[in-house]
Amino acid sequence: MDEHESLRAEVRDWIARHHPGDPGWKLPQSALEVAEDRQFDWLREWQRKLYDAGYVGAEWPVEYGGGGRARGAQRAIDQELARARAPFLLNLVGLSWAGPVILHYGSEAQKRRLLRPLLRCDEVWCQGFSEPGAGSDLASLATRAVRAGDVWEIDGHKVWTTLGRYADWCILLARTDAAAAKHAGISYFLAPMKIPGVAVQPLVKMTGEGGFNQVIWSRARIPADALIGREGQGWEIATATLQFERGAAEGSAGGQGGGGGDVARLLALARGLERDARPVLDDPVVRDRFAQFWLEETALRANAGRARVPGLVADRPAALPLMSKLASSEHGQALADFACELLGPAAGLWIGDPRAPENAEWQRSYLNSFAMTIAGGTSEILRNILGERVLGLPKTR
Amino acid sequence: MNPSIRWDDELGVLRAEARRWLEERFPIARVRALADSEAGEDPADWKELAALGWLGLVVPEEYGGAGLGALHLSVLMEESGRRLLPAPLLASTLAALALCEGASEPQRERWLPALVSGETRFALAAATDAVWGGERADAFVARLGDRFALIGARDPGVRVEPELVLDRTRRSARVALDAARPAADALLPAGADELLGRLAPRACLALAAEMAGGADALLALTSAYAATREQFGKPIGSFQAVKHPLVNVLIGVESLRSLVYAAASAFDAGRPEAETLARMAKAKACDVYVFAASRAVQLHGGFGFTIDCDAHLYLKRAQTARPAFGDAMAQRRWLAAKLVDS
Repeated sequence: MDEHESLRAEVRDWIARHHPGDPGWKLPQSALEVAEDRQFDWLREWQRKLYDAGYVGAEWPVEYGGGGRARGAQRAIDQELARARAPFLLNLVGLSWAGPVILHYGSEAQKRRLLRPLLRCDEVWCQGFSEPGAGSDLASLATRAVRAGDVWEIDGHKVWTTLGRYADWCILLARTDAAAAKHAGISYFLAPMKIPGVAVQPLVKMTGEGGFNQVIWSRARIPADALIGREGQGWEIATATLQFERGAAEGSAGGQGGGGGDVARLLALARGLERDARPVLDDPVVRDRFAQFWLEETALRANAGRARVPGLVADRPAALPLMSKLASSEHGQALADFACELLGPAAGLWIGDPRAPENAEWQRSYLNSFAMTIAGGTSEILRNILGERVLGLPKTR
Repeated sequence: MNPSIRWDDELGVLRAEARRWLEERFPIARVRALADSEAGEDPADWKELAALGWLGLVVPEEYGGAGLGALHLSVLMEESGRRLLPAPLLASTLAALALCEGASEPQRERWLPALVSGETRFALAAATDAVWGGERADAFVARLGDRFALIGARDPGVRVEPELVLDRTRRSARVALDAARPAADALLPAGADELLGRLAPRACLALAAEMAGGADALLALTSAYAATREQFGKPIGSFQAVKHPLVNVLIGVESLRSLVYAAASAFDAGRPEAETLARMAKAKACDVYVFAASRAVQLHGGFGFTIDCDAHLYLKRAQTARPAFGDAMAQRRWLAAKLVDS
């Protein structure tokens, strides 16, 4: 039981009446794989419906389009939506990163102009951080922003841009001072995408799906007030953005309820599987691994529960937020791999084969799991950050 | 299962007091001296532990205890594990829990106040071997066939043989009771299996908490060394081959602590998932503690292999704590049955 029990009941009741069901064609597994117009339209409609019901941005200030509810409300809502297996929210980059950044660093005008359409998915956001030559070493980025009167002129090449094809806005990092030290010369922009000089080209993932793009900026002119924070403050804001991305922030605007319960889902599948003409669940090795995954899944939830109790994290306040994405993405990847191993030869069947268990969802999950261990700081970079910020180890260079 | 955790300022005070007192009283040089001594402990410490009220932390107030719950005990165990406390606080606590769970009202009234005051030293003898605190105990809560009984260490038919142990900070004994004939009123009413069924999850949790503290101390020890020890002109902690295993220890330790607090909160709230969480915590503790200790030895290099480096003290504690009340394999066997068969 918690203080949001009546809210939970309301959400359960609402979702029972408004769950959109199965569209009859293949939905993406997450916002990272939205590549077809009908997927985009259907998911945008769902987010609008959810926003209009008050379930997106539930804790955000009312004056910016939020619901002004108490802390913890969004989490309760997200958990109920996840439990009902409701579709995910399309405007992922906006809800998880751009939105919190605007709330925290934006001017009053930026907040009033941008947040409500973001929550309602009337305007879609993408992220322009990585470049072909600046991945883990993000601060070496080469995209330039040059001030010309009342505009900034942007030139550069951004990659791995989720939702780039559909985005109205981009959180964009660009170098505004070529003479300054690497980290100091970067500024952060809220840049319009549907302007001359912005070319979006799709990239194909190893699942064969799209949803991910490269964006070429060539002499693209964005207004002077597209800058967020101060000139040269970009690295600080980018670091904060990645903290939001890594699950460090409370007060997410929604869509974070997924994850968890995957062991139960895999167990349900395993109940129907055999190996050497015997149920796989009779095999002590398989049982041992199930126990381990259950334990790890429970530990991830216990971490999340503990992170909200200040007295229990006083020793290392930064540890749990910084390890959240790392631990959960590696767990998810290992679990999907275990699922594929359990499937045996059927793991070699792909989407569309009538004999592929669950239409190859686990195979697809396994391939897609690498998005989570690479995006938003690779597991390797996150280990560096944890070692340096939490354990006090010297910098790796 | 959605673990939730309760915490209040009183717990923060207990943690701060325990940490400070244990740090001052048990610098590592003193722990080593006690480990090397014949007795393995100092009777003065036992008096202090009683005076602090820690022997009776989980004993109800009507028997002179503090009447606190599993979360308080976890915090105390974590802090004592951090210092490798060379005194049988855990052994006494396990005996106290057994009496609280399985003794009759008159038995509790008779025995618990003496346990809490430290006047009579109790140990749990659930099996013949590896009875922690057995050598210097005055009385055993001991398994005799299908019942437990309270047996005096100097009763006829009782043979106590100290064991030569790997972990010299925690002494144990072989307690042979074949010839012991306890009085009728010394038999605990609960059946032995039933009592152990109730005691084991609480013992798993207390141990897991103690192991979490030890693993956390190792993480601090090894991180501090890696931050200062230089090779190739740089602190070794700047190399990812050193940094990343330490971060893996960190993730393990923090996840273990989360499971410990979740399990303890579940016990204190009387929630049914408490046993599952406690067994998860013990399974995790076995793996995390041994891993933390092995990395501590390895990353200290040649020095790590010597008796002068503190890492081995913890490594030995980890190896001996692992099998008690079920190692990781045994816990996972229980968990798999719970998950798959129910």
